[in-house]
Amino acid sequence: MPDRKKLTVSYAPFWHDGSSISTKQYHIIAATMLAVIAGLLRYGAPALGVLSLSVGSAMVWEYLMNLATRRPVSIADGNAALIGLLFGMLLPAVTPWWVVIVGTLVAVVIGKQIYGGIGGNPFNPVAVAYAILMISWPIYLDFNAALVNYSFDFPAAYPLVLMNAYGAGGIEAFSLTDFLMGRQTGGIGATFGLGLIVGGIYLMARGFIRWEIAVSFLAGIFVSALCFNLYDPEAFASPGVHLLTGFSLIGAFFLATEDSSSPVNFIPMLIYGALGGVLTVLIRNQGAHVDGVIYAILIINLINPIIDKIRPKATGRVMYHA
Amino acid sequence: MIKRSFFGITAPRLTYEPIEEAFGEPMAVKPAKRITLLMDAPLGKAGGILIKPGEAVLEGQRLQLLENDPGNYAVSPVAGKIFSVEPFIGMMEKPMTAVVIDVEKSGERSRDTSFKEAAKSTGIKEAVGFFGGLPGRPDFKIFSDSGKPVKTIAVVGTESDLMGVTAQYVIGSNIASVKSGIDAIRKITGIHNILLFVHEQMAQVAGASGAGIKTVDMQYPAGSRDMIRMALKSEPARDGEIAFFTAEAAASIGAAIQTGELPLDKLVTVVKKDGTRQIVKAPVGTHVSDILEAVRQGVESMDKVILGGPMTGYAIYSLDQPITQDTDIIMVQDSSAIPEINDTPCTNCGACVRACPVDIPVNILVRYLDAGEYEQAAEEADLFACIECGLCAYVCESRIPILQFIALAKHTVQRLKAAEEENA
Repeated sequence: MPDRKKLTVSYAPFWHDGSSISTKQYHIIAATMLAVIAGLLRYGAPALGVLSLSVGSAMVWEYLMNLATRRPVSIADGNAALIGLLFGMLLPAVTPWWVVIVGTLVAVVIGKQIYGGIGGNPFNPVAVAYAILMISWPIYLDFNAALVNYSFDFPAAYPLVLMNAYGAGGIEAFSLTDFLMGRQTGGIGATFGLGLIVGGIYLMARGFIRWEIAVSFLAGIFVSALCFNLYDPEAFASPGVHLLTGFSLIGAFFLATEDSSSPVNFIPMLIYGALGGVLTVLIRNQGAHVDGVIYAILIINLINPIIDKIRPKATGRVMYHA
Repeated sequence: MIKRSFFGITAPRLTYEPIEEAFGEPMAVKPAKRITLLMDAPLGKAGGILIKPGEAVLEGQRLQLLENDPGNYAVSPVAGKIFSVEPFIGMMEKPMTAVVIDVEKSGERSRDTSFKEAAKSTGIKEAVGFFGGLPGRPDFKIFSDSGKPVKTIAVVGTESDLMGVTAQYVIGSNIASVKSGIDAIRKITGIHNILLFVHEQMAQVAGASGAGIKTVDMQYPAGSRDMIRMALKSEPARDGEIAFFTAEAAASIGAAIQTGELPLDKLVTVVKKDGTRQIVKAPVGTHVSDILEAVRQGVESMDKVILGGPMTGYAIYSLDQPITQDTDIIMVQDSSAIPEINDTPCTNCGACVRACPVDIPVNILVRYLDAGEYEQAAEEADLFACIECGLCAYVCESRIPILQFIALAKHTVQRLKAAEEENA
C-alpha cells in the first residue's frame, strides 16, 4: 500500500541555530536603552518626543517604501526602528519635528531602501542622514544653540566645541567621570558613556556586533589622540576625553558595526575600525568640523569593499566534486 | 536542534555525538513486504537489461543491471522475486534505477553461493566484484583508474554527520572484522599505507585494527571525508591519491572474508523526534517505513524524514524510499521543529564567513549565486572549494538556504561544462 502521507522536503541543513535578523535588531535596540533612558532623564519630554518621532517616522518611511517598491513589508524586522532610534539618539533634544522627519526620510529611503533594503546599503543609513542634515541645516544640529534654554549643573557648552576652540584647556572644567556619567551636553543618547559601554560590551559578548570593529575603532581613537596629546598637550586633549565625548562611543558600538556597510574578515575589520578611529581624531584635531565620527564612518564605509578583499585563501581547492 | 550559544564571540561549535558505552545490540529489522535497491545507472531504453520482473533472486545474489556495465550491480539482501525495474530520479536529477523485490515469505534461506565459490576458487582478488554491493559501499573503482596512482588508503571511522553513532558502533563492537577487512584491502590493493581515522575516545579500541591510527577532532565537520583529505594532503611527503573506505565497508569486507558469506545488513542510527537514538540493523533496501515502525516512531503529515544527518542528509518525500548502502542515519523531524527558511537578502553579518571551515567568502559567494552568476562564483568566490558541510546555512541569520544555492550552482556549472565538452 503506498504511503499517502505528505512529508516536508527541503535541502540540507535541517537545523538552524535560531538566529534571525529581528532578534539581532531587537537586541541592539535593547542595548541602547541605558543610554536612551539616561538621555530622557536628562532632557525630559522634548527628548522623548524626538526619539518617538524618529522611530515612528523611520518605520513609516520603511512601510511606504515597501508599498512603493512592491516588496514584502519589512518593518517587523526591527531594522527601520533601529535606524530611527540611533538617528534620534544623535540629535539634540529640541530638534524641530520636520528636521527629524526629513532625517529619517534620508536615512531610510536614501540610506537604505533605494539600494534594495536591508543588506544592500553601502553606507550606514544613520550616518548618511546625519551628514546630509549637518550640511543642510547645521544650525539645528548645533548642540550649544539647541540646548540654550536648558540649565544644567555642569558646563552647558558642547565639550567638542570647547576643545576645538580652546584646545585641551577648554575642557578643564570636566573630569572623565563627568563624561562617563553623562554630565555633558550632546545628542540625546550619546552622552551617557557608561551606558553605551555596557550596551556595547553586551552586544560584543553576545556576538550581535563584531567586537573587532568596535575595539579597533576605539583603539584607533586612543592611539591617534595619544600621539596628538604627546606632541602638544596644550593644544590637544587627552585620549580619554576623545573616547568619551561626542559620538565616539555610539559610533564605535552602534554605527561603525552596522552589518551591511562593514567588512566581515578579521584583518579588514581591524583596518576598518582603526582607520575610523584615526580619521575621527584627525577631523576633530585638524579639521574644521567639531566632531569627526560621522564623516569618518562614511569614509570607512566607502573603503569597506576594497579592504574586505584581504581574506584568507580558501583551503578546499584540492577537490572538484564530480 | 542545537541553538546558538548565549555568548556569540566565537564561531559555533557543533560536535559529533560520542557513543554511549554499552549501547547494546542493534535492533534487527526485517523488511515487511518489499525492498528497493537503488542502482547508480539510468535504465537505458535499449536492450541489455539483465534484471527482469518476475525473476527469482537468492539472498546474496549479485544483480548486474546492464549487460555491458559490470560496475553497476547490487547484492540482493533477500530472497524473493523481482517485482519491478523502474527509472528513479535521485538527488540533483541523477538518473538511477530502482529494483523492487518481493520478499520471499517462506523463511527458507535460499542463499546464493557464488561468492563463496569465487572466493574459494580464484582467491580474494576476484571476489572484489561482489564487494561493491555491501553495506558501507566499498569502492575499488579508484584503483583501476590508472590516471591516479593511489598511495594512501583512509578508512573513515568518524561519523558522516552529527547525531550519528553508526561508525563508532562499528569500531566499538566489531573491530575484529574491521581488522580483517583492512588486511583484505591491503592484500587486494597491495597498498600498505592504510590509516584508520577515529574520534579520540575510540582510539584505544581502534588500535587493534593493525592500521595506523589518526584521531579526528569531535568538532563538526572535522570527521568529513573532505576535511580528512585536506588534512592528509597538507602533510609533507604525502603524494598520490587517497582512497576512502568507511569503517563499515571494511567491516563488511572483513565479515565476508571471515565467514564466506556476504553481510547484508546495514547499520543505521535512527534519531527519533525526541532526539533519542536507536541503532538498527536492516537489510540494504529496506523501506524507511518498516524501520520507523520497528522503532515505534510515528510520522505525521508535514513532518520531515531525513536520510543522513541534520547537516548533510536529504529529506525523502515518501516513506517507501529505501535505505541505501551508505545511509548511516535516519532522522525524523517533527513539523513544528522544522526551521523556516526565508528570502530576506544577505545582510553581510559575516556569521557564515566565520563558520566556514575552508575559508570561502560566503557573503560574496551568495551574492553571485543569488544573481545566477555561477561561473563568476566559481572563479571569484571559490564555489568549488565548498565541502558542503552546511554550517553557513546553519548560522545564517537571514535564513538563506545557502547550501542549496551552492549545490545548484555546482550542478549547473558542471552540466554546462559537460555539455561544452560534448559539443567541442
